[in-house]
Amino acid sequence: MNAPDRFELFLLGDGETKVSMEQDTRQPNAAIFTFNKEDHTLGNLLRATLLHNEHVVFSAYKVPHPLFPKFELRVQTDEETTPKEALLAACQSLIGDLQMLSQKLTREWELNKIARDTS
Amino acid sequence: MDDYDTIYGSDRGPQITIKEADSRHAQIVLSNCDLAFANALRRIMLAEIPTIAIDIVEIQTNTSVIPDEFLCHRLGMVPLDSTNIDDKLIYTRDCFCDQYCERCSVTLSLHARCTGEDNVTVYARDLVIAEGAQLGSPVINDPEGQGTVICKLRKGQELRLKCIAKKGIAKEHAKWAPTAAVGFEYDPWNKLRHIDYWYEEDAKEEWPKSKYADWEEPPIEGEPFNYDAVPSRFYLDIESAGSLPPDEILQQGIKYLQEKLAAVIETFSNKNETGDGFGDGVRSPGQDYSMGGMGGGGAGYETPYQGGRTPFGGGGFGGATEYGGRLMGGHKCVAAVAMG
Repeated sequence: MNAPDRFELFLLGDGETKVSMEQDTRQPNAAIFTFNKEDHTLGNLLRATLLHNEHVVFSAYKVPHPLFPKFELRVQTDEETTPKEALLAACQSLIGDLQMLSQKLTREWELNKIARDTS
Repeated sequence: MDDYDTIYGSDRGPQITIKEADSRHAQIVLSNCDLAFANALRRIMLAEIPTIAIDIVEIQTNTSVIPDEFLCHRLGMVPLDSTNIDDKLIYTRDCFCDQYCERCSVTLSLHARCTGEDNVTVYARDLVIAEGAQLGSPVINDPEGQGTVICKLRKGQELRLKCIAKKGIAKEHAKWAPTAAVGFEYDPWNKLRHIDYWYEEDAKEEWPKSKYADWEEPPIEGEPFNYDAVPSRFYLDIESAGSLPPDEILQQGIKYLQEKLAAVIETFSNKNETGDGFGDGVRSPGQDYSMGGMGGGGAGYETPYQGGRTPFGGGGFGGATEYGGRLMGGHKCVAAVAMG
């Protein structure tokens, strides 16, 4: 009926960007990132990874409404870095971690396969 | 920028151990990572790995007792072989064709008729895949080699239809899910007390031990509770629906999670034409991301809503986008002629 198309959950609409940043005017080094067409998968992952950064003072996310596929991530850092830098560093470190995980998985799976074939 | 170690040894970063595996399922242990990481991997494997499934059904004849819509739904659920789908098939929405073509779809046809006195059962193996298709054959795992049951026919009943299988992800429809289930567990001894067991008299007696309990040290009696402890070992049990083997599901999960993160980086490097050090442009997630190009980054960026990338053809308002006349959302039965 009037239900939105399911692909609107993951395809950006016309003129929409994946992430937008808004500086928090009340505090220095704080910003709210709005992620479009993303959910807890990325939200919680980034939140947790940002908190591992010692320069990040605050990091939390919320999904403003469950019917809209977006979330807001608020990041506050100390003077050493900026929220944007911290976010990009988090993304990059995660990509690196995942790359290593992928290599380890390939190796483990091969070993497991050999073990299975011989037994 | 030394917050994250850029030099990784093999014992750095998340670790993976395979406990048990075969062609349909895998039990793995993820360690040295946090809960959010393991959960992100679980969520992405459930919802965002592309596979192929029947999306459009053109029914010529259906004189069975099952209505067209019902039959279409059953056909959509049939798992189809999707190994290495990213090299073989593109999304219909990214294709230049009008409705569907060989680059973005696979055609399967089904013709079955009952002539004898006994009822005939139509199985997934009866789906005939178009010649030259690189993937999309029905997954058959049972010892009889028949696949899933599609429908049953009585004497004189006939089925004649054409199915168009397309690439998609489970976020759009569950028929595209590569996994039947992903088991997820941590802290089998409940040392972190994330669970509060209900009990009649004694929780230890009444609750069965986790199957992963032997993999971790049992708690020591009288041990003080550690308030700072966080889970770091996660037990995942990936159960494939048949379209992809479990190792490929995991690898694809990693890949699409990387792509998600790369999209975030990409957004920032795209809109920084004012030049503040993110000029590295787009890099595919397969590459190693160094910490190189980070720098600068003053305050007050002009935020987006200009020049946003759209994955589906430029321009046009209203129904002019490719989605305008597309058939999406569920299994469509296009035509039902020659009934009765």
